[in-house]
Amino acid sequence: MLETNPGIISLARRALLIAFVAAAGLFAVPASAAPSGAEAFVQANVQKGLAILNNRGLSTDQKRSQFETFILGLTDMKRIANFTLGQYRHSASPADQDAFAGAFQNYAVAVYQNYFAKYSGQTLKVTGSKDRVPGDTIVQTQLIDPNDHSGQQPLEVDFRVQSDGTRFVVVDFSVAGIWLALEERDQFSSFLGQNNGNIPTLVSHLKDLAKSYH
Amino acid sequence: MYRVKLLLVAMAGLLLVGCSTPTPGMLAANDPFEPTNRDTLKLNAKIDHYFVIPTVGIYFFLVGDRGRRAVHNFLQNVSLPTVFVNDMLQGEGARAAQTLQRFTINSTIGLGGFFDPAASHFHVPNHGEDFGQTLAVWGVPEGPYLVAPFLGPQPPRDAVGLAIDTAIIDPWNYIPFKQHIWWDAGRYYFTLLDLRGQTYEQVQGVQRGSVDYYASLRSLYRQLRNNEIRNGRPDTKDLPDFGP
Repeated sequence: MLETNPGIISLARRALLIAFVAAAGLFAVPASAAPSGAEAFVQANVQKGLAILNNRGLSTDQKRSQFETFILGLTDMKRIANFTLGQYRHSASPADQDAFAGAFQNYAVAVYQNYFAKYSGQTLKVTGSKDRVPGDTIVQTQLIDPNDHSGQQPLEVDFRVQSDGTRFVVVDFSVAGIWLALEERDQFSSFLGQNNGNIPTLVSHLKDLAKSYH
Repeated sequence: MYRVKLLLVAMAGLLLVGCSTPTPGMLAANDPFEPTNRDTLKLNAKIDHYFVIPTVGIYFFLVGDRGRRAVHNFLQNVSLPTVFVNDMLQGEGARAAQTLQRFTINSTIGLGGFFDPAASHFHVPNHGEDFGQTLAVWGVPEGPYLVAPFLGPQPPRDAVGLAIDTAIIDPWNYIPFKQHIWWDAGRYYFTLLDLRGQTYEQVQGVQRGSVDYYASLRSLYRQLRNNEIRNGRPDTKDLPDFGP
Protein backbone atom coordinates (compact mmCIF):
# COMPACT_ATOMS: atom_id res chain seq x y z
CA MET A 1 0.00 0.00 0.00
CA LEU A 2 2.91 2.32 0.55
CA GLU A 3 3.52 2.29 -3.18
CA THR A 4 0.21 3.89 -3.89
CA ASN A 5 -0.35 5.76 -0.68
CA PRO A 6 2.89 7.52 0.04
CA GLY A 7 4.11 8.31 3.52
CA ILE A 8 7.17 10.27 4.45
CA ILE A 9 9.45 7.96 2.56
CA SER A 10 7.87 8.14 -0.84
CA LEU A 11 7.27 11.82 -0.39
CA ALA A 12 10.89 12.49 0.20
CA ARG A 13 11.90 10.37 -2.76
CA ARG A 14 9.88 12.48 -5.10
CA ALA A 15 10.60 15.70 -3.32
CA LEU A 16 14.27 15.51 -4.07
CA LEU A 17 13.63 15.04 -7.72
CA ILE A 18 13.13 18.76 -7.52
CA ALA A 19 16.87 18.96 -7.41
CA PHE A 20 17.28 18.64 -11.14
CA VAL A 21 14.87 21.39 -11.86
CA ALA A 22 16.53 23.47 -9.25
CA ALA A 23 19.76 22.89 -11.11
CA ALA A 24 18.07 23.89 -14.32
CA GLY A 25 17.59 27.27 -12.68
CA LEU A 26 15.49 30.34 -13.16
CA PHE A 27 16.12 31.88 -16.49
CA ALA A 28 15.31 35.16 -18.11
CA VAL A 29 16.04 36.16 -21.70
CA PRO A 30 14.61 38.64 -24.21
CA ALA A 31 11.20 37.56 -25.40
CA SER A 32 10.89 36.48 -28.99
CA ALA A 33 7.98 36.97 -31.34
CA ALA A 34 7.78 33.25 -32.10
CA PRO A 35 4.31 31.74 -31.61
CA SER A 36 5.60 29.26 -29.06
CA GLY A 37 7.96 31.72 -27.44
CA ALA A 38 7.65 30.33 -23.93
CA GLU A 39 8.32 26.80 -25.14
CA ALA A 40 11.28 27.90 -27.26
CA PHE A 41 12.61 29.89 -24.34
CA VAL A 42 12.51 26.92 -22.01
CA GLN A 43 14.00 24.56 -24.56
CA ALA A 44 16.88 26.86 -25.46
CA ASN A 45 17.81 27.90 -21.96
CA VAL A 46 17.45 24.55 -20.31
CA GLN A 47 19.71 23.14 -22.98
CA LYS A 48 22.30 25.81 -22.16
CA GLY A 49 22.22 24.79 -18.53
CA LEU A 50 22.35 21.11 -19.40
CA ALA A 51 25.30 21.73 -21.70
CA ILE A 52 27.24 22.98 -18.69
CA LEU A 53 26.13 20.03 -16.59
CA ASN A 54 26.99 17.56 -19.32
CA ASN A 55 30.40 19.04 -20.22
CA ARG A 56 32.83 16.33 -19.16
CA GLY A 57 35.76 18.57 -19.96
CA LEU A 58 35.01 20.70 -16.91
CA SER A 59 36.05 19.87 -13.39
CA THR A 60 33.41 19.77 -10.69
CA ASP A 61 34.46 23.18 -9.45
CA GLN A 62 34.41 24.63 -12.97
CA LYS A 63 30.95 23.23 -13.54
CA ARG A 64 29.75 24.74 -10.32
CA SER A 65 31.24 28.10 -11.10
CA GLN A 66 29.90 28.26 -14.65
CA PHE A 67 26.51 27.03 -13.63
CA GLU A 68 26.23 29.55 -10.83
CA THR A 69 27.19 32.33 -13.21
CA PHE A 70 24.67 31.03 -15.71
CA ILE A 71 21.86 31.00 -13.15
CA LEU A 72 22.63 34.33 -11.57
CA GLY A 73 23.11 36.03 -14.93
CA LEU A 74 19.67 35.04 -16.13
CA THR A 75 17.52 34.94 -13.04
CA ASP A 76 15.34 37.32 -11.10
CA MET A 77 16.00 35.81 -7.71
CA LYS A 78 14.60 38.78 -5.85
CA ARG A 79 11.18 38.22 -7.33
CA ILE A 80 11.27 34.58 -6.32
CA ALA A 81 12.45 35.58 -2.86
CA ASN A 82 9.59 38.04 -2.48
CA PHE A 83 7.10 35.35 -3.39
CA THR A 84 8.53 32.87 -0.91
CA LEU A 85 8.13 35.42 1.90
CA GLY A 86 4.37 35.14 1.42
CA GLN A 87 2.25 37.27 3.75
CA TYR A 88 5.33 38.39 5.70
CA ARG A 89 6.61 40.37 2.76
CA HIS A 90 4.05 43.11 3.36
CA SER A 91 5.19 43.77 6.92
CA ALA A 92 8.90 43.46 6.17
CA SER A 93 11.06 46.54 6.03
CA PRO A 94 12.92 47.22 2.77
CA ALA A 95 16.17 46.41 4.56
CA ASP A 96 14.81 43.06 5.74
CA GLN A 97 13.56 42.29 2.25
CA ASP A 98 16.97 43.00 0.75
CA ALA A 99 18.74 40.94 3.38
CA PHE A 100 16.34 38.08 2.81
CA ALA A 101 16.75 38.27 -0.97
CA GLY A 102 20.54 38.00 -0.61
CA ALA A 103 20.34 35.11 1.82
CA PHE A 104 17.74 33.34 -0.28
CA GLN A 105 19.91 33.58 -3.38
CA ASN A 106 22.94 32.07 -1.64
CA TYR A 107 20.78 29.37 -0.09
CA ALA A 108 19.13 28.49 -3.37
CA VAL A 109 22.38 28.38 -5.31
CA ALA A 110 24.01 26.26 -2.61
CA VAL A 111 21.16 23.77 -2.64
CA TYR A 112 21.06 23.62 -6.44
CA GLN A 113 24.79 23.13 -6.67
CA ASN A 114 24.69 20.24 -4.25
CA TYR A 115 22.45 18.30 -6.55
CA PHE A 116 23.27 19.29 -10.09
CA ALA A 117 26.08 16.78 -10.52
CA LYS A 118 23.61 13.90 -10.16
CA TYR A 119 21.76 14.81 -13.33
CA SER A 120 24.48 14.99 -15.93
CA GLY A 121 23.67 13.17 -19.14
CA GLN A 122 19.96 13.92 -18.99
CA THR A 123 17.96 16.05 -21.39
CA LEU A 124 14.66 17.88 -21.28
CA LYS A 125 12.09 17.55 -24.02
CA VAL A 126 9.36 20.18 -24.32
CA THR A 127 6.01 18.42 -24.73
CA GLY A 128 3.57 21.35 -24.76
CA SER A 129 2.34 24.42 -22.92
CA LYS A 130 -0.80 25.96 -21.45
CA ASP A 131 -1.53 29.62 -20.86
CA ARG A 132 -2.70 30.23 -17.31
CA VAL A 133 -3.48 33.83 -18.18
CA PRO A 134 -1.91 35.96 -20.92
CA GLY A 135 1.76 36.33 -20.10
CA ASP A 136 1.72 33.44 -17.62
CA THR A 137 2.40 30.07 -19.22
CA ILE A 138 3.03 26.57 -17.96
CA VAL A 139 5.54 24.84 -20.24
CA GLN A 140 5.46 21.06 -19.91
CA THR A 141 8.61 19.01 -20.39
CA GLN A 142 9.91 15.54 -19.72
CA LEU A 143 13.26 14.64 -18.24
CA ILE A 144 14.85 11.99 -20.43
CA ASP A 145 17.50 9.72 -18.97
CA PRO A 146 19.24 7.93 -21.88
CA ASN A 147 20.49 5.24 -19.53
CA ASP A 148 17.03 4.36 -18.26
CA HIS A 149 15.70 1.39 -20.20
CA SER A 150 13.02 0.47 -17.69
CA GLY A 151 10.22 1.70 -19.94
CA GLN A 152 8.70 3.73 -17.13
CA GLN A 153 7.28 7.20 -17.69
CA PRO A 154 9.91 9.94 -17.89
CA LEU A 155 9.87 12.44 -15.09
CA GLU A 156 7.55 15.34 -15.84
CA VAL A 157 8.96 18.80 -15.27
CA ASP A 158 6.87 21.93 -15.73
CA PHE A 159 8.14 25.50 -15.95
CA ARG A 160 6.05 28.51 -15.11
CA VAL A 161 7.10 31.22 -17.55
CA GLN A 162 5.96 34.80 -17.36
CA SER A 163 6.48 37.58 -19.85
CA ASP A 164 6.14 41.34 -19.46
CA GLY A 165 6.26 41.78 -23.22
CA THR A 166 9.99 42.37 -23.33
CA ARG A 167 11.45 39.23 -21.82
CA PHE A 168 10.57 35.84 -20.44
CA VAL A 169 11.20 34.81 -16.86
CA VAL A 170 10.80 31.38 -15.28
CA VAL A 171 9.28 32.11 -11.90
CA ASP A 172 8.72 28.56 -10.66
CA PHE A 173 9.07 24.96 -11.74
CA SER A 174 7.65 21.67 -10.68
CA VAL A 175 8.83 18.09 -10.65
CA ALA A 176 6.16 15.41 -10.51
CA GLY A 177 3.64 18.14 -9.71
CA ILE A 178 5.58 19.71 -6.85
CA TRP A 179 6.21 23.43 -7.32
CA LEU A 180 9.45 24.45 -5.68
CA ALA A 181 8.70 28.10 -4.86
CA LEU A 182 5.35 27.09 -3.38
CA GLU A 183 7.07 24.56 -1.15
CA GLU A 184 9.64 27.14 -0.07
CA ARG A 185 6.92 29.66 0.69
CA ASP A 186 5.13 27.11 2.87
CA GLN A 187 8.35 26.37 4.75
CA PHE A 188 9.28 30.00 5.28
CA SER A 189 5.77 30.97 6.36
CA SER A 190 5.75 28.20 8.92
CA PHE A 191 9.20 29.15 10.19
CA LEU A 192 8.27 32.81 10.48
CA GLY A 193 4.99 31.90 12.17
CA GLN A 194 6.96 30.19 14.91
CA ASN A 195 9.42 33.06 15.21
CA ASN A 196 7.04 36.00 15.52
CA GLY A 197 7.56 36.95 11.89
CA ASN A 198 11.19 37.79 12.58
CA ILE A 199 12.83 37.90 9.15
CA PRO A 200 16.41 38.40 10.43
CA THR A 201 16.05 35.04 12.20
CA LEU A 202 15.10 33.41 8.91
CA VAL A 203 17.96 35.18 7.14
CA SER A 204 20.38 33.87 9.73
CA HIS A 205 19.00 30.36 9.37
CA LEU A 206 19.30 30.48 5.58
CA LYS A 207 22.89 31.67 5.85
CA ASP A 208 23.74 28.78 8.17
CA LEU A 209 22.13 26.31 5.79
CA ALA A 210 24.02 27.77 2.82
CA LYS A 211 27.32 27.53 4.71
CA SER A 212 26.68 23.89 5.54
CA TYR A 213 26.95 23.07 1.85
CA HIS A 214 30.49 24.49 1.51
CA MET B 1 -2.22 -6.19 8.85
CA TYR B 2 -5.00 -3.78 8.05
CA ARG B 3 -6.23 -4.07 11.62
CA VAL B 4 -2.83 -2.88 12.75
CA LYS B 5 -3.08 0.10 10.45
CA LEU B 6 -6.56 0.92 11.61
CA LEU B 7 -5.31 0.78 15.18
CA LEU B 8 -2.48 3.16 14.35
CA VAL B 9 -4.84 5.60 12.73
CA ALA B 10 -7.09 5.40 15.78
CA MET B 11 -4.08 6.02 18.00
CA ALA B 12 -3.28 9.10 16.01
CA GLY B 13 -6.81 10.30 16.59
CA LEU B 14 -6.55 9.73 20.33
CA LEU B 15 -3.28 11.64 20.46
CA LEU B 16 -5.10 14.64 19.11
CA VAL B 17 -7.29 14.81 22.18
CA GLY B 18 -6.09 17.53 24.50
CA CYS B 19 -4.37 19.59 21.86
CA SER B 20 -3.98 23.27 22.53
CA THR B 21 -6.10 25.84 20.72
CA PRO B 22 -4.94 26.18 17.14
CA THR B 23 -3.30 29.43 16.15
CA PRO B 24 -4.41 31.44 13.10
CA GLY B 25 -1.32 30.15 11.31
CA MET B 26 -2.31 26.54 11.96
CA LEU B 27 -5.81 27.19 10.75
CA ALA B 28 -4.52 28.97 7.66
CA ALA B 29 -2.43 25.89 6.87
CA ASN B 30 -5.41 23.61 7.60
CA ASP B 31 -3.25 22.01 10.27
CA PRO B 32 -5.09 22.54 13.59
CA PHE B 33 -3.20 19.67 15.28
CA GLU B 34 0.24 20.88 14.25
CA PRO B 35 1.98 20.49 17.64
CA THR B 36 0.85 16.87 17.90
CA ASN B 37 1.73 16.24 14.28
CA ARG B 38 5.23 17.60 14.85
CA ASP B 39 5.67 15.28 17.85
CA THR B 40 4.51 12.34 15.75
CA LEU B 41 6.98 13.24 13.02
CA LYS B 42 9.75 13.20 15.62
CA LEU B 43 8.60 9.76 16.76
CA ASN B 44 8.61 8.53 13.17
CA ALA B 45 12.11 9.93 12.68
CA LYS B 46 13.32 7.94 15.69
CA ILE B 47 11.70 4.78 14.41
CA ASP B 48 13.35 5.42 11.08
CA HIS B 49 16.76 6.07 12.61
CA TYR B 50 16.85 3.21 15.11
CA PHE B 51 14.88 0.53 13.30
CA VAL B 52 14.26 1.14 9.61
CA ILE B 53 17.65 2.41 8.48
CA PRO B 54 19.65 -0.39 10.15
CA THR B 55 17.43 -3.05 8.62
CA VAL B 56 17.65 -1.38 5.22
CA GLY B 57 21.44 -1.51 5.58
CA ILE B 58 21.27 -5.25 6.21
CA TYR B 59 18.92 -5.66 3.26
CA PHE B 60 21.32 -3.86 0.94
CA PHE B 61 24.24 -5.89 2.28
CA LEU B 62 22.52 -9.21 1.71
CA VAL B 63 20.61 -8.54 -1.53
CA GLY B 64 22.24 -7.18 -4.67
CA ASP B 65 20.89 -4.67 -7.17
CA ARG B 66 19.13 -7.21 -9.35
CA GLY B 67 17.57 -8.93 -6.39
CA ARG B 68 16.26 -5.66 -5.01
CA ARG B 69 14.89 -4.75 -8.43
CA ALA B 70 13.07 -8.07 -8.60
CA VAL B 71 11.60 -7.51 -5.13
CA HIS B 72 10.49 -4.04 -6.20
CA ASN B 73 8.81 -5.40 -9.32
CA PHE B 74 7.07 -8.13 -7.36
CA LEU B 75 5.70 -5.73 -4.75
CA GLN B 76 4.49 -3.41 -7.46
CA ASN B 77 2.78 -6.27 -9.25
CA VAL B 78 0.86 -7.52 -6.22
CA SER B 79 -0.53 -4.01 -5.72
CA LEU B 80 -1.94 -3.83 -9.26
CA PRO B 81 -5.33 -5.42 -8.49
CA THR B 82 -5.98 -2.62 -5.99
CA VAL B 83 -4.86 -0.07 -8.56
CA PHE B 84 -7.16 -1.65 -11.14
CA VAL B 85 -10.23 -1.44 -8.89
CA ASN B 86 -9.53 2.22 -8.15
CA ASP B 87 -8.93 2.97 -11.83
CA MET B 88 -12.41 1.57 -12.48
CA LEU B 89 -14.02 3.40 -9.56
CA GLN B 90 -12.65 6.65 -10.95
CA GLY B 91 -14.00 5.93 -14.42
CA GLU B 92 -10.50 5.78 -15.89
CA GLY B 93 -11.08 2.99 -18.39
CA ALA B 94 -7.87 3.45 -20.36
CA ARG B 95 -5.75 3.43 -17.23
CA ALA B 96 -7.61 0.38 -15.94
CA ALA B 97 -6.82 -1.40 -19.19
CA GLN B 98 -3.15 -0.49 -18.77
CA THR B 99 -3.15 -1.87 -15.25
CA LEU B 100 -4.79 -5.09 -16.39
CA GLN B 101 -2.24 -5.42 -19.19
CA ARG B 102 0.62 -4.91 -16.78
CA PHE B 103 -0.69 -7.45 -14.31
CA THR B 104 -1.31 -10.05 -17.01
CA ILE B 105 2.06 -9.62 -18.71
CA ASN B 106 4.17 -9.37 -15.58
CA SER B 107 2.42 -12.22 -13.79
CA THR B 108 3.11 -14.55 -16.72
CA ILE B 109 6.04 -13.48 -18.89
CA GLY B 110 7.42 -11.57 -15.95
CA LEU B 111 7.59 -14.76 -13.89
CA GLY B 112 5.13 -13.87 -11.21
CA GLY B 113 5.97 -10.20 -11.30
CA PHE B 114 9.67 -10.42 -10.51
CA PHE B 115 10.41 -8.86 -13.90
CA ASP B 116 8.66 -5.95 -15.62
CA PRO B 117 8.46 -6.76 -19.33
CA ALA B 118 5.21 -4.80 -19.51
CA ALA B 119 7.22 -1.59 -19.20
CA SER B 120 10.56 -2.59 -20.69
CA HIS B 121 9.27 -4.51 -23.73
CA PHE B 122 5.61 -3.59 -24.19
CA HIS B 123 5.93 0.05 -23.12
CA VAL B 124 3.05 -0.04 -20.67
CA PRO B 125 4.28 2.15 -17.81
CA ASN B 126 3.25 1.78 -14.21
CA HIS B 127 0.93 4.17 -12.41
CA GLY B 128 -0.50 4.24 -8.91
CA GLU B 129 -4.04 4.65 -7.65
CA ASP B 130 -5.64 4.26 -4.25
CA PHE B 131 -8.99 4.77 -2.62
CA GLY B 132 -7.90 8.07 -1.10
CA GLN B 133 -7.54 9.37 -4.63
CA THR B 134 -10.85 7.82 -5.58
CA LEU B 135 -12.55 9.67 -2.74
CA ALA B 136 -10.95 12.90 -3.95
CA VAL B 137 -12.23 12.29 -7.48
CA TRP B 138 -15.67 11.77 -5.97
CA GLY B 139 -15.42 15.19 -4.32
CA VAL B 140 -14.51 14.27 -0.74
CA PRO B 141 -12.33 16.99 0.81
CA GLU B 142 -8.93 16.13 2.26
CA GLY B 143 -9.66 17.26 5.82
CA PRO B 144 -7.11 18.61 8.27
CA TYR B 145 -3.49 17.54 7.93
CA LEU B 146 -2.60 14.61 10.19
CA VAL B 147 0.58 12.65 10.75
CA ALA B 148 0.11 9.08 11.95
CA PRO B 149 2.68 7.03 13.85
CA PHE B 150 4.64 4.79 11.45
CA LEU B 151 2.55 5.80 8.43
CA GLY B 152 3.47 9.45 8.00
CA PRO B 153 1.04 12.03 6.58
CA GLN B 154 -2.50 10.63 6.71
CA PRO B 155 -5.25 13.28 6.46
CA PRO B 156 -8.68 11.77 7.12
CA ARG B 157 -9.49 11.20 3.45
CA ASP B 158 -6.26 9.32 2.85
CA ALA B 159 -6.49 7.41 6.13
CA VAL B 160 -9.98 6.20 5.23
CA GLY B 161 -8.76 5.40 1.74
CA LEU B 162 -5.88 3.37 3.10
CA ALA B 163 -8.18 1.45 5.41
CA ILE B 164 -10.64 0.69 2.59
CA ASP B 165 -7.87 -0.36 0.22
CA THR B 166 -6.29 -2.61 2.81
CA ALA B 167 -9.37 -4.11 4.37
CA ILE B 168 -11.83 -4.31 1.48
CA ILE B 169 -10.43 -3.65 -1.98
CA ASP B 170 -7.18 -5.60 -1.91
CA PRO B 171 -8.17 -8.96 -3.46
CA TRP B 172 -5.35 -10.78 -1.72
CA ASN B 173 -7.52 -10.60 1.39
CA TYR B 174 -9.99 -12.98 -0.23
CA ILE B 175 -7.54 -15.66 -1.22
CA PRO B 176 -7.56 -18.21 1.60
CA PHE B 177 -4.23 -19.69 2.50
CA LYS B 178 -2.43 -20.58 5.66
CA GLN B 179 -0.15 -18.10 7.37
CA HIS B 180 -1.89 -15.15 5.71
CA ILE B 181 -0.55 -12.84 8.35
CA TRP B 182 3.03 -13.69 7.38
CA TRP B 183 2.25 -12.85 3.76
CA ASP B 184 0.89 -9.48 4.86
CA ALA B 185 3.74 -8.81 7.23
CA GLY B 186 6.37 -9.77 4.67
CA ARG B 187 4.73 -7.73 1.96
CA TYR B 188 4.62 -4.56 3.99
CA TYR B 189 8.02 -5.05 5.53
CA PHE B 190 9.70 -5.48 2.16
CA THR B 191 7.73 -2.54 0.78
CA LEU B 192 9.19 -0.47 3.58
CA LEU B 193 12.71 -1.72 2.86
CA ASP B 194 12.27 -1.16 -0.85
CA LEU B 195 11.03 2.40 -0.58
CA ARG B 196 13.39 3.46 2.17
CA GLY B 197 16.32 1.96 0.35
CA GLN B 198 15.50 3.93 -2.77
CA THR B 199 15.05 7.17 -0.92
CA TYR B 200 17.87 7.23 1.60
CA GLU B 201 19.89 10.00 -0.03
CA GLN B 202 16.82 12.01 -0.97
CA VAL B 203 15.46 12.02 2.56
CA GLN B 204 18.81 13.20 3.83
CA GLY B 205 18.73 15.95 1.23
CA VAL B 206 15.30 17.17 2.32
CA GLN B 207 16.31 17.11 5.97
CA ARG B 208 19.54 18.93 5.25
CA GLY B 209 18.12 21.63 3.01
CA SER B 210 14.89 22.39 4.82
CA VAL B 211 14.31 25.49 6.89
CA ASP B 212 11.34 23.70 8.44
CA TYR B 213 11.37 19.96 7.69
CA TYR B 214 7.84 19.44 8.98
CA ALA B 215 6.37 22.24 6.87
CA SER B 216 8.36 21.04 3.88
CA LEU B 217 6.90 17.53 4.15
CA ARG B 218 3.42 18.92 4.60
CA SER B 219 3.70 21.02 1.46
CA LEU B 220 5.30 18.21 -0.52
CA TYR B 221 2.64 15.75 0.58
CA ARG B 222 -0.24 17.96 -0.41
CA GLN B 223 1.23 18.94 -3.74
CA LEU B 224 2.15 15.37 -4.52
CA ARG B 225 -1.27 14.02 -3.63
CA ASN B 226 -3.02 16.68 -5.66
CA ASN B 227 -0.84 15.80 -8.62
CA GLU B 228 -1.66 12.11 -8.19
CA ILE B 229 -5.36 12.89 -7.99
CA ARG B 230 -5.07 14.80 -11.28
CA ASN B 231 -3.15 11.82 -12.71
CA GLY B 232 -0.28 14.14 -13.48
CA ARG B 233 -2.31 16.59 -15.53
CA PRO B 234 -0.88 20.08 -14.99
CA ASP B 235 -2.68 22.44 -12.67
CA THR B 236 -3.02 25.85 -14.26
CA LYS B 237 -5.99 27.44 -12.53
CA ASP B 238 -5.19 26.86 -8.84
CA LEU B 239 -1.65 28.22 -8.89
CA PRO B 240 -1.25 31.45 -6.92
CA ASP B 241 -0.39 34.72 -8.60
CA PHE B 242 3.30 35.37 -8.41
CA GLY B 243 3.31 39.11 -7.84
CA PRO B 244 5.75 41.73 -9.06
